[in-house]
Amino acid sequence: MTDPTHAPLRIVLAEDSVLLREGLVRLFDEAGFETIAAHGDADALLAALDRDAPDVAVLDVRMPPTFRDEGVRAAIEIRRRRPDIGVLLLSQYVEGTYANELLSSGDGGMGYLLKDRVASLDELRDAVERVSQGGTVLDPQVVRELLGRRGDPLARLTPREREVMALMAEGRTNAGIAKALFIGVGAVEKNVTSIFQKLALEDSGTDHRRVLAVLAWLQR
Amino acid sequence: MQAEDASLRRLERDIHDGPQQRLVRLQMDLASIERAVDRDPDAARRMLGEARQQARETLDELRALSRGFAPPILQDRGLAVALESLGARSTVPVVLEIGIPADGAPPVVPASIERNVYFVAAELLTNAVKHAEARGIRLRASLRDTGATGWWLDLWVTDDGRGGATSVPGHGLAGLEERVRGLDGILVVDSPVGGPTSIGAHIPFVPVA
Repeated sequence: MTDPTHAPLRIVLAEDSVLLREGLVRLFDEAGFETIAAHGDADALLAALDRDAPDVAVLDVRMPPTFRDEGVRAAIEIRRRRPDIGVLLLSQYVEGTYANELLSSGDGGMGYLLKDRVASLDELRDAVERVSQGGTVLDPQVVRELLGRRGDPLARLTPREREVMALMAEGRTNAGIAKALFIGVGAVEKNVTSIFQKLALEDSGTDHRRVLAVLAWLQR
Repeated sequence: MQAEDASLRRLERDIHDGPQQRLVRLQMDLASIERAVDRDPDAARRMLGEARQQARETLDELRALSRGFAPPILQDRGLAVALESLGARSTVPVVLEIGIPADGAPPVVPASIERNVYFVAAELLTNAVKHAEARGIRLRASLRDTGATGWWLDLWVTDDGRGGATSVPGHGLAGLEERVRGLDGILVVDSPVGGPTSIGAHIPFVPVA
């Protein structure tokens, strides 16, 4: 490895459906990632984790043996045991309860998305890369749920500020927010400053710490 | 049991009218794309975009249907966590007092009772927010061993809204009453005009061995 910045990201995967496992491996390949191992359940992924030493672990939520929340539990264990490994959970449904548990289980890279979102190669690549860099990626549906339960204080924000707040909570950078809303980065920064003032939050500067501050506020 | 039959029929209809139709359409569109791909690549590309949209909407519909029938968090974590999740999702703050063991500790409530209680709680919370214009809600749930008359699950939802909730045939509360009575339980409504409203659902169950 002469130039580590150009080494492909190394992925391990746990997904019990053969159909989706093969589809994801193919997408990872197209995205330029290297799939080191593709497991059928979370225990197999955990057992091989130290040996595989991936950059990112991608997990389904419902897997054998009980088909309940195996993936969530495994993700939390990885975050405790190996905070250097990014974790991306993909699920057929998203739950605010799981998002809260994941967010409070560590501060390494973490993503929680509906499987539908990664049908697009760009979105999958973006999510895996952000998680590998220690970022947070939250599904818009989880964010809607988190915002929904904080009605009163959010009423102080302008409609534009609420849009910016939602995209921040999804884990997007200023540049990402600007692109999504078709506005300039300067305008995003102005909105962010105003949001932090109105919610009495301390602006910690870096994109990632800011996301965590917003999410901590939403969970309060 | 009759309510169960009716809801199964409705589910079948919803699957038939929604996702199933969409998949049929998707198959037709994919066949058109196959025919157009050489002749008119631009049209094929546009139809591909539409087909993906069609697939996405099918998934959304299926998810909404299964959530309405069997909420994932209830399947995954059981009633106690599912009620907490309901409370957390509410747009009006809910104070929770859940005295039901989580993680499968005894006494274990049968799955069919869990599901019914979940939907009763969901509807009571919705009513408090929508119709009573409550600003604060309290949700209590606990299990009670009465000895001679067996185990009961007690669910109370109280709110500080405007009160005056009555059970009118064909309306929400009457439907809830029917659901609870179908489980041999009772629904107790105390809702003077001006509030507060307190509604209790009391349902007998036989713990799962």
